[in-house]
Amino acid sequence: MSEIYDIGYRHYDGPRLGRGHSTRALAVHSLRGVFGLGRPARSKIVPFALVGIMFIPSIVSIAIMALAQQRGIPYSGFAVVMQAVVAIFLAAQAPAVVAPDLRYRVLPLYLSRPVSIAEYVGAKVTAMTVAVFALIAGPLTLAYVGELVVDMPGPPATGEYLGAMLMALVLSLLLSAFGLALASFTPRRGLGVASVITVYLLSSASVPVIYATFAETGNVETAKWAWLANPFWLVDSVQHWLFGTPPHSIEGDYPSGPVSALLLVVLLAVAMLALALRYRKAAAR
Amino acid sequence: MHILATEGLTKRFPTVTAVDQLTVTVGPGVTGLVGANGAGKSTLIKILLGLLPPSGGSARVLDLDVTARGADIRRLVGYMPEHECLPPDVSATELIVHFARMSGLPRTAARERAADVLRHVGLAEERYRPVGTYSTGMKQRVKLAQALVHDPKLIFLDEPTNGLDPRGRDEMLTLIRRIGAEFGISVLVTSHLLGELERICDHVIVIDAGRLLRSSAIGEFTQVTQTVEVEVDEGLDDLAAHLVAGGQAVSRQGRLLVVKVTGPESYDAIRDATAELGLCLIRLEQGRHRIEDVFRDEVAHV
Repeated sequence: MSEIYDIGYRHYDGPRLGRGHSTRALAVHSLRGVFGLGRPARSKIVPFALVGIMFIPSIVSIAIMALAQQRGIPYSGFAVVMQAVVAIFLAAQAPAVVAPDLRYRVLPLYLSRPVSIAEYVGAKVTAMTVAVFALIAGPLTLAYVGELVVDMPGPPATGEYLGAMLMALVLSLLLSAFGLALASFTPRRGLGVASVITVYLLSSASVPVIYATFAETGNVETAKWAWLANPFWLVDSVQHWLFGTPPHSIEGDYPSGPVSALLLVVLLAVAMLALALRYRKAAAR
Repeated sequence: MHILATEGLTKRFPTVTAVDQLTVTVGPGVTGLVGANGAGKSTLIKILLGLLPPSGGSARVLDLDVTARGADIRRLVGYMPEHECLPPDVSATELIVHFARMSGLPRTAARERAADVLRHVGLAEERYRPVGTYSTGMKQRVKLAQALVHDPKLIFLDEPTNGLDPRGRDEMLTLIRRIGAEFGISVLVTSHLLGELERICDHVIVIDAGRLLRSSAIGEFTQVTQTVEVEVDEGLDDLAAHLVAGGQAVSRQGRLLVVKVTGPESYDAIRDATAELGLCLIRLEQGRHRIEDVFRDEVAHV
C-alpha cells in the first residue's frame, strides 16, 4: 500500500449552502438511486429494461407513420396502454427510494442535518415523480419528434402531445405519492414491491368486477364509475374532461369530469397525508 | 466558553422521565457522558440536536437555543448514532460525499472533504466497496466520517466503541482523542464504561435515570478511585493476606486482586509481596472503573 503523507487535519472554511441545496442534492441522489446509477450493475437491469420496453411502441409508431402514413398509439392513450409496464416500474423502484433509509435506519443521519422531515419527504416524492414522468414522457417525446420528422399529412398533434405530457406529470405525481407511501409502510424491499403491485392489481381487477356488477343490474350509468378505481383511467378521465381527448377505457365513457378531478386531488392528499404520518412516526424514533 | 449548557432540562415520556432536572455545562475538549443503558444519554443527545422538544428547562448548544435554532445547531454539529445506520449497497465514498452535500457543502468541496475525512478515520482502498461488505470496525469508521465530513464545531458520539473488539476499541478511542486534541473539534462521547473514557476525556459527566450524579474534570475521578489489578498464577490468598498485613486495602474479584493505590509505595508493596512469596505474576494492570464504582461512591457520600 502506498504511503500517504499525513498533512494533518484541515478545517473547512468554504461556503455552507442552505437547505434548498441539500434538498435538491437529496432529490438528485434519490433519482440516481431509482435508475441504479452509482449502484452495482444489477440495480440498473430492471429500470433500464423497463425504459427500453416503454420505447418500443414509440419506435413502432414512428415506423407506421413513416411507412403507412398512419398514427400508432395516440399520445393521450399512451399511459393507459402501457400501464402495466409503468406499474411494474413503480413497484420495483419505489421501495428503492424510501425503504433502505427506513430499514437500515439511515434517517437519523439526515435528521441530524439541517433538512427537515418535510423537505426529506418532498425530495423523495420529487425524485420518484421525475423518474416516472421520464419513463412516460421520454417515449411520448420521441414519437412526437418522429411525427415532426416524418411530416405526416395534416397539422401535427401538438395540442394532444402537450396535454398528454401534462397528464403524464399528474399521473406520475399520483403514482409516486401512493407508491412511496405503500413502500414506506413496508420497509422490507420485497414486501414493498409486493404491496405496490398488489394494490395496482386490485385496483385494476376491481374495475371489470364493479363494472359488470352494475351493468348486469342495468345501472350502466353507475357502472361507468368503476373506471375511476384504476389510477391510469382516473387520470385519463380527467384528461378527457380537460382536453376533450377520446376516452381510452376499454368500452364506454367516463362519468362526469369535475368529479374525477376532485377524486384525483383527494387521492393525492390522502397519499401525502399517509406519507406525512409515516415519517412523523419514523422521525420520532 | 461553554460548548453546551443545560438548565433544569427535563424530558418526560408517557411512561418514563428520561431526563430529569439536568443542569450541566460542557467546555471545549473531549467530554464523556457516562451512564448505564437507559440512563437518558441518547435522549439528551436528541434534545441537544434540536430533534426532541424538552418538556421543561432549557438547553443551549454553541450558544444557540435548542428549541428555536435547531436547524442552525445541526449545521454546526455532527452526530454518530449508536445503532447501525448505513445502507449496504453504496460505497463509503459515495455515502460520505452525499452526506457532505446534505450538510450544505458544494459538490467539489464535498468530494475533497470526503476523501480527507475517510483518510483521517483510516479507510483506504476499501472505501470504494459497498458498505455492506465492511467489518463492524470499518462501519464504525464510516459512521464517524459522516459526523465529521462537514467540519463541525462539536460532535456527539453515541457509544462509538459498541460492538468493537479490544483492538478496534483502542483504535477508536485514539481517534476520538485526536479529534479533540489535533482537529480542534469538541467531542461529547457517551459510554457505559467509565474506564475507557478515562483515557481520552478531559471531563466526565455521570448521569443515572436522567439525573446528574457527577460532573468533574477527569483528574478528580482517577484520584478518587485509582486501583491496580493483580493476577498471579496461584497463591492469591497468600498474597492478599500479605498485602493486608502490610497495610494495603485489598479486595478480591474472582481470579483478580484489586489493590487500592495510595501512592507509589502501593506498587512497591505488591512487587515486594510477590517476590517474597515467590509467586508467578501474570498481570499487573490499572484497575478499570466501572460505572457501578462511581454509583457506590456517590451513594456512600450521601
